Amino acid sequence: MFLKLAEKSLLNRKGSVILTVLAMSVSVFVLLGVEHMREQTRESFRGTVSGVDLIVGARTGSLNLLLYSVFRMGSPTNNIEWSSYQQIASNSKVAWAIPIALGDSHKGFRVMGTTADYFKHFSYGRKYSLTFADGRAFDGVFDVVLGSTVAKKLGYTRGEKIVLAHGLGQTSFSLHDDKPFKVVGILEATGTPVDQTVHVSLQGIEAIHVDWQQGVKVPGHKISNEQLMAQDLTPKTITAFMLGLTSRMAIFRVQRDISQYRKEPLTAILPGVALAELWQMMGLMENTLRLVSGLVFIAALLGLSAMMLASIREREHEIHLLRVVGASAGFIFLLVEMEALLISVLSILIGAGALYFGLLLAGGFLSSNFGLHIGANILSETNLAFMGLVIIATLLAAALPSFFAYQKAKSG
Amino acid sequence: MAIQLNDVKFSYNKMQDKPVLDIPEWSVGMNEQVFIHGRSGSGKSTLLNLLSGILRPSDGCVSVMGQSLGKMSARQRDRFRADHIGYIFQQFNLIPYLNAVDNVRLAIRFSKKTTHSELLDSEIRTLLMTFGISEEHWKRPVSTLSIGQQQRIAIARAMINKPQLLIADEPTSSLDQNNRDVFMVELLKLVKAQRITLLFVSHDVSLASYFNRVDSLSDINRAGGCA
Repeated sequence: MFLKLAEKSLLNRKGSVILTVLAMSVSVFVLLGVEHMREQTRESFRGTVSGVDLIVGARTGSLNLLLYSVFRMGSPTNNIEWSSYQQIASNSKVAWAIPIALGDSHKGFRVMGTTADYFKHFSYGRKYSLTFADGRAFDGVFDVVLGSTVAKKLGYTRGEKIVLAHGLGQTSFSLHDDKPFKVVGILEATGTPVDQTVHVSLQGIEAIHVDWQQGVKVPGHKISNEQLMAQDLTPKTITAFMLGLTSRMAIFRVQRDISQYRKEPLTAILPGVALAELWQMMGLMENTLRLVSGLVFIAALLGLSAMMLASIREREHEIHLLRVVGASAGFIFLLVEMEALLISVLSILIGAGALYFGLLLAGGFLSSNFGLHIGANILSETNLAFMGLVIIATLLAAALPSFFAYQKAKSG
Repeated sequence: MAIQLNDVKFSYNKMQDKPVLDIPEWSVGMNEQVFIHGRSGSGKSTLLNLLSGILRPSDGCVSVMGQSLGKMSARQRDRFRADHIGYIFQQFNLIPYLNAVDNVRLAIRFSKKTTHSELLDSEIRTLLMTFGISEEHWKRPVSTLSIGQQQRIAIARAMINKPQLLIADEPTSSLDQNNRDVFMVELLKLVKAQRITLLFVSHDVSLASYFNRVDSLSDINRAGGCA
C-alpha cells in the first residue's frame, strides 16, 4: 500500500515528475559516462605498449623517449650506434630486441623502420599481439606494412605502390620517389599509435637514403636496384629499440647497465611507468570532467528538491487527510522520501540503459574512427558505487521537502 | 463520556499570550449527536485536530472514549485515531489518484494489523455496495466520480474501522439542497443504527434542525469570537 501510494502519487503529477526524471537521467548518464570513458581510455592508454620491458634511446627525459618511440610524437634528440644496439641485444638477459628507425613519413603518417620481429614480439592492451587484417609481414627491402588507420584514410589495399617522403612534414618536397614501396600487409586496428604507422624494414630505410647526403638528394647520383642489393644495407644508426627480457627480475639490473653504458649516453625506460607518468599529466583534465559531471548531478538534485518542495504545498489537503485516517507524521516523511527514491531508481535505470545502448551503437564508430575501444559493460565497481551514491544523494536532497511535509503533518 | 475536555488551552506559538482555544469544560455523551455551530476562524479545525490527536493541547486534558489522549505517545494517538475515529470533510475526503477500493483500504492500513486480506476486500465491497457505489465505479480514480459518490465513499472510508466517534467537518457544503437533505437523513440513520457518537461541525445553522443538541463554538471557546 505504501509503495502503491508513492507510485500513484507520482503518476498523478506526471508532468513535473517526468521532467525531473529526465533531468536526473541525463545527469546519471553524464556521471556514469564520464567515469566509464575515463576508466576505459586510461586502460587503453596504459595498454599502448605491453610486453615490452624496456625502451632504450639516446640520453633524454623518459617522457620524451616515450613520446617519440611509442607515440611517434616530437623528434628524437639523437641516434644510437648500431653497434651499441648489437652489444646490448646480445646480453644474456635479453630475450628479444626490436630496433626502431624513425625520421621519414608518408602523407603525414610516420614511417618506422624495424625488423620482422616487431610483429612477433610487440604487444598492446592485455598482451594482444599484432595481427594482420590482410597480407603478411615485410620480407623484401621495398615491402611495407600499413597500420589500419593509414590504410583506411588513404584507401590503400595490398599491392599498392607508395612513395615515402624525407622528413616529417605532411607536404614534404623531398620525396624518395625513385624507390617506391609495395604494400604487402595491413594490420588490424589496435587503438594505439601502431594504427597510424607505416612499417618498413631497416634495410628499406637504409636503401632510400643511400644516395642522400646531409638530408638532400645528391643530384645525378643514381643507384639502380641491382647495385643497391649488392650493398650492405645494415644501418649505421637507429633511433631507439625495445627490449624483452628473460626475467622481469632483471629489468632494473639491465636498466642500470644501459644507463652506465660507456660508449654513448643512453636512457632506458620502463614503458608502463612512463605511461603512468604521462597519464598523470592528464589528471587535471580528468578531474575537470568529473567536476563538471558532479555539478550537472547537483543541478539535477536541486531540481528534484525544488519540484518535491513545490508539490508539498499542493498536497496539504492530501497530507491532512492521510493524518486523519491515521498516518503518523513519520509515514508522511517516508512517503515523500519513497517518491524521491522511485524517481532516482528510475533515473538510474534510464541513464545507465541509455549509456549502455549508446555505447553498443557507438562502439563500432569509436573504434574505427578514433581507435577507441570502449566496452559497453558499464557496471564497473566505481560505477556501481556511483549508483549507490546517486541514491543516497537523492534521499538527502529529498530530506528537506520530506521534513517540510513532516512539519505540515505535525501541525495538522 | 465520549468526549471530555477540561481546562483545555491551545496556542500555536508558545510565546503568544492569547490562546486560539480556551475551553474550561465541555463534554459529549456516548451515542449523542451534537451539532457544533462555528464560523471559520473560531478555532474549529484546532478543536477537531485536538480531538483526533493530531495536535496536543498546550494545557489541560482531552479524553476521547474514556481514554486520555495526553497520556499517549504520538504513535499511540495515530493508532487510536485510526481505530476509533471516523472523519468526513467537505472536500478532499479522498486521495484523488486512488480508486474507491484503495481509498477505503488505506483507512484499514493504519488500523487493524493485517487480518486476512481477502476477508477485508469482501468487507470493503459490501460496505461500498451498502453506500450505493456500483461495482463499475470501484476501480476508477475517485476524481472521475461525482461529488455525491465521493461523499458516500468518504462515509464508507470513515465507517470501515467501525469507529465509535464520527467527526463530520462541513460535509455538506459542496452538496446542493436536495443532496444535502438526503445526505443528512442517511448519515443520522447510520449513526443511530450503529450507535456512533456524531460530532457535526458546520457554519450552516439551517442544519441544526436535524439535531437535538446544538452547541455554538463561541459559547464553548472563551478564546473565540473575536478572531
